[in-house]
Amino acid sequence: MDPSALNSPELQNLLAQEKERAMISEMISKLTSSCWDKCITGTPGSKFSSSEANCLTNCAQRYMDMSLIIMKHLHQ
Amino acid sequence: MDSFSSPSSGSSPQLSTDDIMAQLRTQLEQAYAEEFLETVRGKCFDKCITKPGSSLSGSESSCISRCIDRYMEATGIIGKALFNQRH
Repeated sequence: MDPSALNSPELQNLLAQEKERAMISEMISKLTSSCWDKCITGTPGSKFSSSEANCLTNCAQRYMDMSLIIMKHLHQ
Repeated sequence: MDSFSSPSSGSSPQLSTDDIMAQLRTQLEQAYAEEFLETVRGKCFDKCITKPGSSLSGSESSCISRCIDRYMEATGIIGKALFNQRH
């Protein structure tokens, strides 16, 4: 394989996009794991109760709020 | 892999950007699938097999089935919540 092919801007760009996608995927994966533990306290049913579903949504959104607070805090 | 062997002379088959990206995406998909499986195994074992017996009971089996569906649903809910909201 021609080593100079690895330096192509096109490939670097595609790799950067794929890396971002991977980071997002990983965040969803970790957050789902945490939020499941926080919100699904009983035995899994054949559907989520509305309180379970709301808890999961809230969990993700509060995580984002927290992320913002952390960023602000560290930039003071 | 043929594309990594050194060419003797003349034209060598080059691995295109498309090939590289296709292989990368395939490997990423496999890694995600394995990670998801591992996570679901852990969660559903904890939820459903609370008192291990000498075999899996019917209720344990149905619990596992529901658990997998719920976990997939939870993944979707989290994904939507992260990307639908704007402050």
